[in-house]
Amino acid sequence: MLKLTSVHTSYDHIKALKGIDIEVDKGEIACLIGSNGAGKTTTLLTISGILKPDSGEITFEGEPLKNISPHNIVNKGICQVPEGRRVFPRLTVLENIEMGAFGAKGKNFHRNLEKIFLLFPILKERKNQMGGTLSGGEQQMLAIGRALMANPKLLLLDEPSLGLAPIMVSKIFKTIKEINEEGVTILLVEQNAKAALRLSHCGYVLENGTIKLHGSGEELLHNEDVKKAYLGE
Amino acid sequence: MLLQQLINGLTLGGVYAIIAIGYTMVYGILELINFAHGEIYMLGAYLAIIFLGLFTAMGLTATSLPLALILTAILTIIFCSAYGFTMEKVAYKPLRNAPRLSPLISAIGVSIFLQNYVMLTQGATDKVFPQRFGEAGFQFMNVNVTYLQAMIILVSGLLMFFLHLFIHKTRMGKAMRATAQDKTMAALVGINVDSIISVTFIIGAGLAAVAGIMVASYYGLVNYFIGYIAGIKAFTAAVLGGIGNIPGAMLGGIILGLVESTGAAYISSEYKDAYAFIILIVILLIKPSGILGKTTEEKV
Ligand SMILES: Nc1ncnc2c1ncn2[C@@H]1O[C@H](COP(=O)(O)OP(=O)(O)OP(=O)(O)O)[C@@H](O)[C@H]1O
Ligand SMILES: [Mg+2]
Repeated sequence: MLKLTSVHTSYDHIKALKGIDIEVDKGEIACLIGSNGAGKTTTLLTISGILKPDSGEITFEGEPLKNISPHNIVNKGICQVPEGRRVFPRLTVLENIEMGAFGAKGKNFHRNLEKIFLLFPILKERKNQMGGTLSGGEQQMLAIGRALMANPKLLLLDEPSLGLAPIMVSKIFKTIKEINEEGVTILLVEQNAKAALRLSHCGYVLENGTIKLHGSGEELLHNEDVKKAYLGE
Repeated sequence: MLLQQLINGLTLGGVYAIIAIGYTMVYGILELINFAHGEIYMLGAYLAIIFLGLFTAMGLTATSLPLALILTAILTIIFCSAYGFTMEKVAYKPLRNAPRLSPLISAIGVSIFLQNYVMLTQGATDKVFPQRFGEAGFQFMNVNVTYLQAMIILVSGLLMFFLHLFIHKTRMGKAMRATAQDKTMAALVGINVDSIISVTFIIGAGLAAVAGIMVASYYGLVNYFIGYIAGIKAFTAAVLGGIGNIPGAMLGGIILGLVESTGAAYISSEYKDAYAFIILIVILLIKPSGILGKTTEEKV
């Protein structure tokens, strides 16, 4: 469904991605793990078209994404919950959710809204509150809910569990699983490697802008190098 | 006497407010002070004179003055919006990722270009608005209000009201606010940031056009230089209210108009244009974020 071939991305003179290959199949959860500064966020921003790769190719459902602007990539079905949530602070919760549906132009609006309120009842309670006044965990729920409004085919999640209480972390992971079971393909970036690998069908280990390892979630969980470097065992 | 000055101030303030909105909207989205915005207002005043002159020559003004005025307004707004749209595409868009000083210099360049363009094509002397509305008016609580003043207050009030509705109630308006808050995230929810920026320039220019028409008919005289002083005053109004904040621009415009007219009446009319600068200096010293602005706005 999504295929990155030898993608290089840089910031001015810093080469953040040095030729990475990633393939995500339809219906699966893939995860991307790696230490701080490995290039995970850069990878997701490149897929969404916010950053332009220097070279290499990204295709989605067989179609190259080169020269397609970010909002049209969303229209093709790739949505992202970016690092740091980026809830619109001075838009209400409901307006934030409406903005998530901007590209979808109202398709399935009410059904999606109900689904999101069912998933995160707190958002319904807070719907007229400004996004910036929500707690961190609530903002994360809002960010995920907002992305779901666009009827994504592929959802990119950048550290959805960051800064959340353990109980919220497991709730978020459970939610990711549910979203996936409804047919949404997921590419998950996580520091919480163990939980992410358990959940994922396949995983990639990113180090210094290159893919060091890839395999099924199960394989990576039992890999000695992964255990040492990312699972703290 | 005071009430009379309030009416005069409200007239002036309404005009400043609708020009200030253009500054503040562009700043809200691009963090750019569009120094050429005042010139759009000046173009509006000239275009109104040209179109109304044309309709007068065609005899339309004599047969139906309201129709001639409405057509003049519509054409002027369309032309000014086109100028605003083109200005952004030509002078600012190519500099979107350049250091912040570059678009600012470009804005000053556009401003100088437009002033000279109008001076060359329309001449350096004052132009006269073809229609005089005179002092006809009505009494309101013992104060004389001319029909033109009432019209200006009403039109600027309505424009602000509808703009507020647009920004808060429509899909496009909400997308504009989202884009002003976080451009990257706006793109990530599928908003075409480039078209939002274009719409912002078009709306700002359209409002400036209306201000230009109203001032040209109010004072009856225009020259190629009026955009400069009006631009600085509207900029002051925008800063006073809190740059980037639309209700702030409205409030700042009204306050500036009131200060100018009461200051002119009670202190000295010689310093009429200086009050804006005094306000600008004071606000920058005391509260640079403006009346409604947030102190040190978080920008992601
Ligand atoms: N805007 C930027 N300008 C310059 N360098 C950047 C920028 N953003 C990221 N980098 C650099 O690119 C490299 C990859 O950063 P990236 O944000 O993709 O890492 P990450 O894997 O997401 O890390 P983390 O786990 O800390 O979020 C880092 O060395 C970082 O310093
Ligand atoms: Mg990151």
